[in-house]
Amino acid sequence: MDDHRPRHLTFRVFCCLSIVCLIVPFANPAKAQVSNTLVIALGGAPKSFNEIIAQETTTSDVTGLMFEGLTRFNPLTGAVEPRLAESWEVSSGGLDWIFHLRRDVLWFDGKPFTSRDVVFTFEKLIFNPAVIAPARDIFTLDGKPIQVEALDVFTVRFRLPVSFAPFLLALNQSIFPEHALKSAVDSGNFQSVWGVDSSPEAIIGTGPFKLKRYAPGERVELIRNEKYWKKDASGKSLPYIGRIIALIVPSADGRLLKFLEGETDLYVLSGADYPLLKPKQKKSHFELLEAGAASGSYFLAFNQNPPNPVHREWFKNRVFRQASAQALDREAMIDIIFNRNGVPQCSPLSPSVPFFYSAKVPCYEFNPEKARQMLKAEGFADRDGDGYLEDKKGNPVQFTLLTNAENPERLQMAGMALEDLSRIGLKVNFLAVEFNTLVTKLSATHDWDAVLLGLTGETDPHFGANVWRTDGSLHFWNAGKGAVKTAGEDEIDGIFRQAASLMKAEDRKKLYDEWQMIAARELPMIYTVLPRTVYAVRSRLQNVKPSPIAGPLHNIEEIRIKE
Amino acid sequence: MKSFFYYLCKRLAAVLPLLLVLPFMTFCLMHLMPGNYFDSLRLNPQISPETIKKYEALYHLDKPLLAQYFHWLENIVHLDFGYSFAYKQPVLKVLASRLWNTFLLSGVAFAAAWFLAVILGLWAGMRRGSWIDRILHFIAYTGLSMPAFLLSILFLALAAHWGSLPLGGMRSVGYEEMSWPLKCLDVGRHMVIPVTVIALHSWGYLFRVMRAQVSEIVESDFVLLFRAYQVSPHNIAFKHVARNALNPMISIFGLELPSLFSGVALVEIITGWPGLGQIMLQAVRTQDVFLVLGNMVMISVLLVAGNLIAYILLVAADPRIRMEKP
Repeated sequence: MDDHRPRHLTFRVFCCLSIVCLIVPFANPAKAQVSNTLVIALGGAPKSFNEIIAQETTTSDVTGLMFEGLTRFNPLTGAVEPRLAESWEVSSGGLDWIFHLRRDVLWFDGKPFTSRDVVFTFEKLIFNPAVIAPARDIFTLDGKPIQVEALDVFTVRFRLPVSFAPFLLALNQSIFPEHALKSAVDSGNFQSVWGVDSSPEAIIGTGPFKLKRYAPGERVELIRNEKYWKKDASGKSLPYIGRIIALIVPSADGRLLKFLEGETDLYVLSGADYPLLKPKQKKSHFELLEAGAASGSYFLAFNQNPPNPVHREWFKNRVFRQASAQALDREAMIDIIFNRNGVPQCSPLSPSVPFFYSAKVPCYEFNPEKARQMLKAEGFADRDGDGYLEDKKGNPVQFTLLTNAENPERLQMAGMALEDLSRIGLKVNFLAVEFNTLVTKLSATHDWDAVLLGLTGETDPHFGANVWRTDGSLHFWNAGKGAVKTAGEDEIDGIFRQAASLMKAEDRKKLYDEWQMIAARELPMIYTVLPRTVYAVRSRLQNVKPSPIAGPLHNIEEIRIKE
Repeated sequence: MKSFFYYLCKRLAAVLPLLLVLPFMTFCLMHLMPGNYFDSLRLNPQISPETIKKYEALYHLDKPLLAQYFHWLENIVHLDFGYSFAYKQPVLKVLASRLWNTFLLSGVAFAAAWFLAVILGLWAGMRRGSWIDRILHFIAYTGLSMPAFLLSILFLALAAHWGSLPLGGMRSVGYEEMSWPLKCLDVGRHMVIPVTVIALHSWGYLFRVMRAQVSEIVESDFVLLFRAYQVSPHNIAFKHVARNALNPMISIFGLELPSLFSGVALVEIITGWPGLGQIMLQAVRTQDVFLVLGNMVMISVLLVAGNLIAYILLVAADPRIRMEKP
């Protein structure tokens, strides 16, 4: 008997485990009811719920649903609309702003929203020297902070050191509750408050959704704010959606698979996805909604102050840059990189930027023959018969094009630009480097020749001043020791300075139109192409009006789910 | 017993320098990469260089390298492993938030690989050259030679094709509404692909070691003697051969323990399992130095602990192992 016991025991354990292993994969637990729930996939996990100190979009994607500012930018019309402020008045030539706050706004914990919260947000958070708030840079004008004062419980006054036209737009800055954060600020712990380990009830905003649960790296769950102030035309409380589950799916393929399996309701298409998803619309119950050209930019830029004086002479030459622009086959880039789902970019602003984008900006058509002639007229010629150009002094025109290795679209675009430039006789070496290496070269060492890069889009050109003004920290193409202002830079400096203080939108637009024309003429950045932003939206969602600038959820409170 | 504790203390003292050197090397390697975590902000037109400088000062990144390292080392004495730049939280908190998920995944895979390697290794070793031995050998080689990322992608593609298993993640959308048994089943279903990939990989290695050991012991004189005395083959296999073959497996256990938390990163990333792998990849790429260092210390401690546990298990499993007197 003794001999057989172990055999039986092992055999039984083995059989039991085998049965469990066979059952688990096929036993699908009954799909639980997830009624009135929107399921989305995020590319990264939020790093914190403290929007004041957050620097990454993975955080603001979530906090944007919980917090609100005094105003709101409507990405479809380009207008600045009231949000927590009901109305406002401006006087003293744009230096004094009085905001009348809504009286029906409650924080998640039921306490009323008042002017004290606005003053607290600016004085104790944004301008607190102990708190590092990126927003401080926006509200510091000419080196001086703006002044905020509560006139009564529901009125606040802002005093600006200089008139600042995009002030209304900047006031979409979220407002935070004094009663919930004061103790953290007073004890000096604000920098670590509302981290990802906080209890969901501790995070208090006024937005349409509040945090229900966060499973680190896995999902964020938000539920409807029953006390939300906004109502629809029939007087029904918004938002309509009861719950949002945001799954964290870092891989783009994973997000696509989850959408195709019906697990998620929204998906942002990349160029390659278009032919795959288009025929599946009916069968998989979704629609493809085109929102327009993506915001932001892709561009090729030459260093106009490189260490090598020979290179400097080439890159400073406007005709050299124009010929390079003429050599880029943008249609081929659209076809190959974005699967025919893109547009050529000619202006520093994306065509989807409402109001300020100028359609009059000329585009550089693909014409390698003309590019060659332009270079020839400037003294560039193939003197030794190797197929590549030499300059007037016989120096071979050879340089290195950089881009960051993490971005597959930029890598592909750089490869195509390299071929296009070789076609007109420029010998280009290609180097893909880590993002931080690239940033060090652009902002500190300035030892680079050409770069293929992109910048995030701005809704108001003023917020790109740091790039365009010669004293801006991101004026990378003509920076470093010995940088001399190039043609057009004085004009652009003047435009940005003047446009920031003009209060009439039309006057500002005229100036920014001029800036776009100068940029197209001088070509400090040679813009390439932009993808069209297309969202795949499950058919059960109603009233989705996606925007390339603000995404598909900017009107989240108005979106309905048809069960 | 005295010599046993003496040996334990001696081993612990020997590994202390390792615990100091490993993080220092990691720290140096991280700093060989140009720039720092906050460089990514430099291309944001709305953030001034002054703000970036303030961030650098807050986290002591403006200090010389050695000063930064010693400051960190000093804090470790108080069990403070520094702050994660990205999460703005103590490193221990960030690691702890994901530790259980990684432990669950790799623990199950580890146990499955071990159990199957011992049972099947014994079986194949006792029947060397049989068709079952050849099939198991083939599977072991396949598991060993296929990179984990490729296997993960392959299984995910198969799951997408057949639609029977979840495509990544750890829980279904309706998880919160499920009853407890269904919740367990749901997590279990999500574990099938990553566990199979991880287990198959380490099973291949463990199986080969076990099989080789068994094949060698089966040929030894004492087994021949047992056979002559007509001891049942089952008893020979389980009571004598298996016990003797386990020693190298226990040593391997010690070396494999740290990989419970570090070796499954790639599979976690591909299958979307919310473990340490994702945050570590992000931390290395963005130069979140103290988070990487914290993880490194954890892995080093596990390596040391794994070796000690393996030693204790060896003593328990094999009475022949005796310590030399000091």
